[in-house]
Amino acid sequence: MLCEKCGESLATTHIRSVINGKVTEKHLCSHCAANEGYSDIKGSNLSQMLSSMFGDTASAPKNTQVTRCGCCGSTFSDIAKSGKCGCSECYTTFYEQLLPYLKRVHGSTKHIGKIPSRASVTEKTDDNIDELRALLSRLVGEEKYEQAAVVRDKIKELEGDTL
Amino acid sequence: MSCWYGVSAPQDDIAVSTRIRLARNINGIPFPSKMTPEQFKTVNVLVKKAILESDTPYSKSLKYIAMDDIPEIERFAMVERHIISHRFASDYQNRAIIISEDESICIMLGEEDHIRVQVLLAGLQFEKAYKIADSIDSLLCNGLDLAFDERIGFLTECPTNLGTGLRSSVMLHLPLIESRGEMSGLADSISKIGLTVRGIYGEGTKAIASLYQISNQVTLGISEKNAIDNLKIIATQLIQKEQQYRKQLNRIKLEDRCMRSLGILKNARILTSSEMMTRLGDIKLGQSVGIIGSDILPIKLLIEGQPNMIMRKSGGLSPDERDIERANIIRNSL
Repeated sequence: MLCEKCGESLATTHIRSVINGKVTEKHLCSHCAANEGYSDIKGSNLSQMLSSMFGDTASAPKNTQVTRCGCCGSTFSDIAKSGKCGCSECYTTFYEQLLPYLKRVHGSTKHIGKIPSRASVTEKTDDNIDELRALLSRLVGEEKYEQAAVVRDKIKELEGDTL
Repeated sequence: MSCWYGVSAPQDDIAVSTRIRLARNINGIPFPSKMTPEQFKTVNVLVKKAILESDTPYSKSLKYIAMDDIPEIERFAMVERHIISHRFASDYQNRAIIISEDESICIMLGEEDHIRVQVLLAGLQFEKAYKIADSIDSLLCNGLDLAFDERIGFLTECPTNLGTGLRSSVMLHLPLIESRGEMSGLADSISKIGLTVRGIYGEGTKAIASLYQISNQVTLGISEKNAIDNLKIIATQLIQKEQQYRKQLNRIKLEDRCMRSLGILKNARILTSSEMMTRLGDIKLGQSVGIIGSDILPIKLLIEGQPNMIMRKSGGLSPDERDIERANIIRNSL
């Protein structure tokens, strides 16, 4: 739908007003919406909506010792206000704080979809197996057979996982 | 080569198109809202390498284009063809796309996430669209260190996309459900099961020509298959309901409505975008019940009659000049 004012750009701002029971609708492009003073409607509503979903944290008074993401420097308050994380590391830094929000949005906090098969995962497992093999031979050398049996079982388990 | 809207496809009498979108990010680089121009370029280079230097047919069938090289009219014409988002066409600096010749595959680099893989097909083709998107995703998984957490899945800038990062959607033509005033009630019911209903141009837009986009909202705690199956079930039910209402219509009234619209499109000398879309919606309805022949491609015309699509061929025109040109284009196509 085109903007009803300029008739040129796509209407992306839709305003519905009800005054004394009379309903009026406006469909404007972002430029004409800004000219009519509606530029902040979408942003402020979205921000308020997301903040309310994050709970009271967004409007909580600032703590003197604020945790910041080590990668992008975002605080949890930044994320709550914008509704966006700054980088993937934010999810590790603020994992516990984000969980209630994720539960509200998705009804779940557990991924059950596709898991990428990455080389780094296999490499990590291989590194672990090498370390455990070294430990196993040391324990056998020290005749600590009970502990060695536990390590041997762990190696078997990891080797099974990588098959 | 034909674009997605220029070919016939399964159930395309009501299901106009099927879209699959996957959101992915790369570890160690901030999300786009915090990225520097250099970091945008890094993402472009890494993804280009992962896909175009892969030992797969995609390395030949897909093409890399820097958004800075695409003129403004063409960028917004791409929005009208549903290839890229409006936001991406506006915030285009340092961004890039990797796109197939028929435009059914378009990977946006630097949209809300580093990577947005989109597959768009005509008709109802969820399985095929997902298979293509998934195979491209596997190239990304193999070639890049993607941001992924075993507990909460693929990590995205907005937590609403977290998990699978999958947004699947279908565009349905539902004139009779709409004319019975049932659409808002259905939209409410649909929203309660984690799906959402929007207009033809996505978020915040109203339905035009009775075209509705239905998509999944929930991406965490649900597998890709279940999310797609849920949407497919609802889409199928809506299609059946629309078909049932079409059978119950008074034939002569329906013929009158469709033939009047055809007459206007064949004879009008000035045609606004809004009127064109409404009339073409009637043509599509008429085709589905055998009143109008299948040689007309209403969705193709609907897209080609959009403002920037007209201007990419005719150059810059005023809105009045565009309405005249639109009428010419449609008249000459019928």
